[in-house]
Order: sequence, then structure tokens, then C-alpha cells
Amino acid sequence: MWIFLASECLFFGSLLSTYLVFKGESLSGPGTDIFAFEITSISTFVLLMSSLSMVLAVYGAQHGQLGLMKLMLLCTILLGLVFLGFQVYEFKTFASEGLTLSTNQFGASFYVLTGFHGCHVGVGVLYLSSLLISSVRRNGIGKETPLYIDIGGLYWHFVDIVWIVLFTVVYLIPAY
Amino acid sequence: MAEMDAVHDAHDEHPTTTIREYLIIGLVLSVITAVELVMSLYEDELGVVLIPGLLIFSAIKFVIVVGMFMHLRFDSIRFTQIFAFGFILATALLIAVVVLFAYDATDAIGGGFIGDPIEHH
Repeated sequence: MWIFLASECLFFGSLLSTYLVFKGESLSGPGTDIFAFEITSISTFVLLMSSLSMVLAVYGAQHGQLGLMKLMLLCTILLGLVFLGFQVYEFKTFASEGLTLSTNQFGASFYVLTGFHGCHVGVGVLYLSSLLISSVRRNGIGKETPLYIDIGGLYWHFVDIVWIVLFTVVYLIPAY
Repeated sequence: MAEMDAVHDAHDEHPTTTIREYLIIGLVLSVITAVELVMSLYEDELGVVLIPGLLIFSAIKFVIVVGMFMHLRFDSIRFTQIFAFGFILATALLIAVVVLFAYDATDAIGGGFIGDPIEHH
């Protein structure tokens, strides 16, 4: 899992470097002035809280508290879906203001970077949902197999730390 | 299965973080995010301090999540090395690409001839 996460660092590193190269370089279309910090800050808070609920799910799995594990898994899934909802809303707002994937290089690199992160959140939601469904089955995930939840947690926290970096570099640091 | 049990045993060796400690960590992360947001709103007043400040806060959040939530602090040093290798490589790649595009070597060598030939004729 850690090797996979290390390779994912390179994946997002290359996408982020492309974004930084094109940030503030486009001659036409909207630029970084289109960002709405308030909405993104709320979605960042939602993702941070999902990391907290995920770590509590792992805690529940490791300590045989299956009720806590299931509840926290459900919370994490719901918070992940809320984050995705915010992202869809943001993309739709930007598109209505004239920034699409084909508007300029900034738009292309921004949508590819944040879109791929959104895809990772989506995959995480699906994976955690499969764990939750498995945990409610009689022969599914239980006290003997907390490692599955732990691995799901590692993936989810990784998605969170990628967003920590993206939120700072993409949204908070102004164009230069 | 035996392999998974062995890995799980290795995970269980670390001292357990309590739910209360996790909640405190969550609160700290939220506060740092709020501070970052406030800093970005006072962009002009903070001047040159803004970008290093935001990067430091971001790094603190990164380390907290990786160390405590992803329990790297308590795991084998080998996991840290694997992850650090990928992260350092990614950071080096990012810096190299950004510097490569920010600095046009043709400006120094040919006085910008390749970049903008019309001005030199």
C-alpha cells in the first residue's frame, strides 16, 4: 500500500507542476480570480472531518467496536459524497462563468488536477461502501480482519493530504 | 492470510491513540485551516510572509495526518522511507518543471532571439 501511495505522490506531483506552469499564463478567459475561497474552505473542512471519522472507523475495527466502525464508515462515505457535491457545484459555477476544460491552459490544468483528485475521492467512496456492505454481512469484515479497514483508511487519508496540498497551492496562494 | 496477520501484528505494536486524542487532532487541523483562510484574506497586509506561512501551515497539517492518522509515526521506519522516497521525488519533479518553465535559458544565451525573433530583426 505504501508503495502505491508513493507512486500516487508522483502522479499528483506531475499534475500539480503542470498546473503551476500554466497558472496565471493564459491570455484569454478567466484566471484564478474566479475562485471562491468560502465554498472551497467548507469542502476542505468536510474532507478533514471525513479523515477524522475514518480514523475513528479504523480505531473501532482495531478494538473490536464494530458498531463504532460501521457508524464512522457511514459518516466518512457521506462526508466524501458531500465533498464531491461541492466539487460538482464548483465546476458547474466555473463553467457558467466561462472557465471550461477547453477555455485556456489554466482551465485545462485546473480541471484535470482537481478532477483527478475528485475521481480518487469517488473511488474511495466506492471502496469504503464495499467495506461497509461487507461488514454488515454475517461472514464479512469483523473483528478478525481490521486490516481491510486500515488499508481503506490509508487510502482515504492520502486523498486528504493531497487535498491539503492542493487547497494551499491552488486556492490560497495567489497567482504570481 | 498469514502475511496479513503479520502486518497487522506489526501495526498493533504501537501505543494506542485514544478517541479523545483523535478529536483533539481533528480540532487542531480545523483551526489551522481557518488560520490559512484568514491569512489568504489578508493577502496585501501579509506581503512576502503569506506564501511561506501558508506552505508551513500546509506542511504541519500534512505531517499531522501522515504521522497520526496514517500512523506512520508508530509504524516501521521502512514504510516512512518508502513514502518519503515518493514524496521527495514528486517534490523534486515539481520544482524542476516549474524552474524549467520559469527560467528561459534562451534569454541569457541569445538575448531572447529564439523566444521573440521579430524584435531582433
